[in-house]
Amino acid sequence: MPPLTHTRGRIVPVALAIVLFALPARAADRSLEYAVKATFLYKFASFVEWPQSAFENESSPFNLCVVGPDPFGGRIHDAVTGQTVGRHPIVLRQLAKAEARSNCHTILVSGRPGQPAAEALEVVSGTPTLTVTDSAFGPVAGIIHLVIVNGRVSFDIDNVAAARNHLVISSKLLALARRVNTARPGKTQ
Amino acid sequence: MSLRQRLQKRLTFTPLHALLGAVVLLAAGLLVSAYQDRIFRAQQNREIRAQGEILAASVTAALVFGDTKAVQEHVNALAINPEIEAAGVYDMQRILVASFVRKDRPALPRSTPERTATAGRGRTLVIVPVTEKDAALGTVYIRAIDEPLDRRLTRYAAIMLLAIMAAMFVAFMAATQRTLRAANAQLEARAVALAETNRLLETEMEERSKTEDALRQSQKMEVVGQLSGGLAHDFNNLLTIIQGNLHLLGQSLERDQSGQSEIQDYVAAAGEAVERASQLVRRLLAFARRQPLSPRSVNLSQLATGMEKLIAHSVGEAVHIEWRLDATWQTLCDGNQMENVILNLAINARDAMPDGGTLSIETADRSLPDGVRARGIAPGDYVELKVCDTGVGMTEEVRKRAGDPFFTTKPHGKGTGLGLSTALAFIRQSGGDLRIETEPGNGTTIVILLPRHFVTEPQETRANLVGSA
Repeated sequence: MPPLTHTRGRIVPVALAIVLFALPARAADRSLEYAVKATFLYKFASFVEWPQSAFENESSPFNLCVVGPDPFGGRIHDAVTGQTVGRHPIVLRQLAKAEARSNCHTILVSGRPGQPAAEALEVVSGTPTLTVTDSAFGPVAGIIHLVIVNGRVSFDIDNVAAARNHLVISSKLLALARRVNTARPGKTQ
Repeated sequence: MSLRQRLQKRLTFTPLHALLGAVVLLAAGLLVSAYQDRIFRAQQNREIRAQGEILAASVTAALVFGDTKAVQEHVNALAINPEIEAAGVYDMQRILVASFVRKDRPALPRSTPERTATAGRGRTLVIVPVTEKDAALGTVYIRAIDEPLDRRLTRYAAIMLLAIMAAMFVAFMAATQRTLRAANAQLEARAVALAETNRLLETEMEERSKTEDALRQSQKMEVVGQLSGGLAHDFNNLLTIIQGNLHLLGQSLERDQSGQSEIQDYVAAAGEAVERASQLVRRLLAFARRQPLSPRSVNLSQLATGMEKLIAHSVGEAVHIEWRLDATWQTLCDGNQMENVILNLAINARDAMPDGGTLSIETADRSLPDGVRARGIAPGDYVELKVCDTGVGMTEEVRKRAGDPFFTTKPHGKGTGLGLSTALAFIRQSGGDLRIETEPGNGTTIVILLPRHFVTEPQETRANLVGSA
């Protein structure tokens, strides 16, 4: 095979951010990390299938909920403004507490303050909700658990929890995950 | 021309046909190759597009979540295909995320190329958008080299080779057939020539056989003639002595007047016998051609007319005689001998009709401008004499021997076997021809032809002279 010329030098802002996380967190770095995480939050939606009943119609809003204040310092609002998931416009909803009737499609659970993370996850369990947690906030993991690996933002996926919430996660996303829980003990990666 | 021959002619290959066939075959081979090449190229294009689409589908997540390494791995997978010289993935910001370019090949565009971009001659360009849930995420770019012409030609060489071989085969067949046909024609011509030669040979053999038969016959006649001629002379001399002595015996008996009439009767009977014997000798001599002929110009019709009474007397009342004497031309022969011939034939006819019948004697003028080749008769004018009977006829065996001397079917003592043979000898001696037409139970016809004699001195004149004398 002929030698390949790779274009590692040209980096998208997202990728640039990822590379930089190898360094100890500084204000500027943390800001970049938050921006990446905020973007990930709505981009996961592209690789997840919700049951049809989760939406009223084809253009009804996609509810992206955050329990408590934005843990990413307002980056989420910046990231999702004007974005859509398919035809569904993304609507950012800030909740004091997670509730079964919240009708959230994606919910970011930080576990502070007010409602503990485990409780919030327990409340939405069984509803078509993609739960996202961040290892930076504690070990309690939702369906997608954001982690930092080698200075890059990555994630673990609990496919069992996803199935419980009637969600189907694309294999492409699973392929990118650091670990995937596929229900059978010992097989977790 | 038979159907087979016509078909054969129509189906025959000529070199032109063979050439046309070869050209058609080559053209067909070229067309097939071109068509296959087209299909192959279209398929190649589709394959590269499919690879582009696969790449676009598989890099979505990696592109979205900025996993450059994963994107690069996907792109590198394309390097297995030797036709792809360069490939790359651009993100939403139109920036090249991952790519590979083969050595010494043009680099990829820095930012996403337009979908209408072309790769130039000999290259195939595939640009596929990367989308997930209708959202545009980036672009996949693949540039492939078309297979070089010589390699493509190599691929179709087998077809062309087959076409060329088929063309050569057709040409070879045509040449072979042509050669074969020529050889056949030559052979046929030779066979025809051979058949002709064979036919000629057979004819010649037949003629030779006839000639040999005739020669043998004539040799036989010669021997018989010599023998009988010699015998007849000696015999004649003896007869003369006997006759003289009988004569002397008769005179002395008369002188004696002893009145022994009985002895005189014996002498007379012996004299008659001697006379008959001398007639026989004359015939023999005639047969042996020892008897000098005195030919003169004779009108056969007149000759026959003079014999009417004699013949009527000879054949008896049981036989009805018809005369048809139409000949006017003269012929040159010994009249006395001719009379003998006619008489002999009439007597033969009578003997062939023991219970009566009809004897017809005819003469006629015959012009034979072509002659009769089979019998050796030269072209010219002839006088014909026909003697027909309604008698028992002859078998072929008898007919063949009828001319032989001493051959006879008559009872012992009745025939000498010299009548017809003498006639034959005389007619031949006179330059004529004698033919026997007969069939058992259907009578016999003797046909005699004598050459016409052109008289320089009309007979009437001589008759007048004789009359006036």
